Amino acid sequence: MRKYDLLGRRNFIKGLGAATGVAIAAPAMALSEKADGVKWDKEVEVLIVGSGFAGLAAGIEAIRKGAKDVHIFEKMSYFGGNSAINGGLFAAPGTPMQKKEGIDDSVEKMVADQIASGRGIADESLLRHVASHAVEALQMTLDAGAEFHPYLQQLGGHSVARTYQTSVSCGAGITQPLLKECRRLGVKTHNRAKFEGFILGGKGNVVGVKMRENYHFAEDQPGKVVNIRALRGVLMATGGFAQNIDFRMAQDPTLTSEVGCTNAPGATGEGMLEMFRLGAVPVHLAHIQSGPWASPDEGGFGYVSNYSIFNFPHSIAINCMTGKRFMDEIADRKTRADAELACRDAKGEPLPPILITSFKDSKQHPNTAKVLKYNVGWKFDTLEALAKHFGIPIEPLKAQIEEYNSYVKTGVDKQFNKNMTKAKDKYIEAPFTVVRLWPKVHYCQGGVQVNTKAQVKDSFTGQPIPGLYAAGEVCGGIHGVSRLGSCSIPECMVMGMTAARSMMQA
Amino acid sequence: MKMLNIVLALVLGGLVSLSAHAVEQRPWHKEVIGKDCKVCHDNGIKQFPSDQACLQCHDVDDLAKKTARSEEDKWQNPHNNLHYGKDLPCQECHGEHKSKQPLCSNCHTFKFDKYKK
Repeated sequence: MRKYDLLGRRNFIKGLGAATGVAIAAPAMALSEKADGVKWDKEVEVLIVGSGFAGLAAGIEAIRKGAKDVHIFEKMSYFGGNSAINGGLFAAPGTPMQKKEGIDDSVEKMVADQIASGRGIADESLLRHVASHAVEALQMTLDAGAEFHPYLQQLGGHSVARTYQTSVSCGAGITQPLLKECRRLGVKTHNRAKFEGFILGGKGNVVGVKMRENYHFAEDQPGKVVNIRALRGVLMATGGFAQNIDFRMAQDPTLTSEVGCTNAPGATGEGMLEMFRLGAVPVHLAHIQSGPWASPDEGGFGYVSNYSIFNFPHSIAINCMTGKRFMDEIADRKTRADAELACRDAKGEPLPPILITSFKDSKQHPNTAKVLKYNVGWKFDTLEALAKHFGIPIEPLKAQIEEYNSYVKTGVDKQFNKNMTKAKDKYIEAPFTVVRLWPKVHYCQGGVQVNTKAQVKDSFTGQPIPGLYAAGEVCGGIHGVSRLGSCSIPECMVMGMTAARSMMQA
Repeated sequence: MKMLNIVLALVLGGLVSLSAHAVEQRPWHKEVIGKDCKVCHDNGIKQFPSDQACLQCHDVDDLAKKTARSEEDKWQNPHNNLHYGKDLPCQECHGEHKSKQPLCSNCHTFKFDKYKK
């Protein structure tokens, strides 16, 4: 697994010496400057930094609202950012598939679920804005050619099944069509273009950016900085900082380089940090979410994540020391990640718990074959073979499965009060498929504060910074302590669309 | 004077070939490119080649065909993959002068025969 280290912290903590760390810790210092006397190298109408869901949705919406000259700049050599490698899960209330499946849902219900997961500190107005426009954003993906599995999923922390998933079980099932649609509409896309800072007008308004061209990520190769003027404003859709180990450890010292990460390598947060320098309000930076469905047996998001997200509702998670369940398998992410981290051996070393699923149920998901083929999951014909493989005491495990199966029958989980709706008639029976679980850093709830027009607020005045917009994971405070699964894609897309509308109205 | 120039040329020529030897190069490229670094380094010798440089000789569709996998694994084709289609710049996984890891290995345990490890 490749590791990038923009700030040198990893070398430092691995004991290679402070000198090495300092030597590497010298990326060109980005700084914002006044436009007086600036020589403009280029001029564009709408300037978007970042090419994930938020940036792509904004590009399409800007053209639809009449923009003639829209440009997306991407730091990496490839487009799509973190959006191109996630699970492709999209929650929306009141969708056609919910109507078909007879599921009663509403904006209010979705917002209530999110506030509960956010432990009460989520931004209700932003959640309501996103939920209200989520179906619209889903439609944009369909119009662009995205395809979805023909069933809904009920993810952890959601009170009803409201989650669509792309038919390739990956965000690329959305970013690829959106990127094509952007180009079809005439949006200009630039790769290897690294944002280096803002250029400000006389009133502290953002009038342009400094952009490094021909940038090669994680390489000692300078490229060239150009000044680009943005007539209608700048949208920062630059994502989170889960890959910036130094910065995430500054917020939460437990998130060392030893904790895995599901994000694309470019999720290093410079765009966010530059907005803080400009005066944006930092919100909830210490709330960094780990995915409880990740596997220690592969790098990044891999294949297991989607496998287990699909299977959790009809599976049992087992602590290998005790042979017993230890959590509600569809509790929200933080609840489950914390419970998994508590699974340890007699010496206190991590002992990843396992997820046991009946093969007849797990094979309904396309990833099951991949998980088995690439040795990141296993199939067992008997419980004895399974227990032996993971060193689990057999008798407690047997008793646990019997007990759980009685809950499947009654529909009431007396152990952890799991919502058993999606587990109906799905008994845990041989043959079994098994994956190991261990959380990986997945999502940064924190970021810059925005309003429901996607304008970035100034920390001194409380007013929007003129000309500056932000959308997606770079924004903070929307989800509170812990984001519910499948609620990021609608947020990114709705706020990207919103930013484009605000820019075109300004 | 003429003699001096010849000697100088020989010495300089020796230096150039020495430094060229020090740079690792794929054997099959040596025959085509020789020692003309600018064939690939279209942005200048001290810069990385542009994303178009390799495409002077290589066709993405041909490469995709060569590395095609079975229907079940069709999206694991590095030259036409699920996440980036055929858009992934060559230098993301290939280095002429140093060995690299395939981008997929960030998250997946796929085997690509030509990569060590």
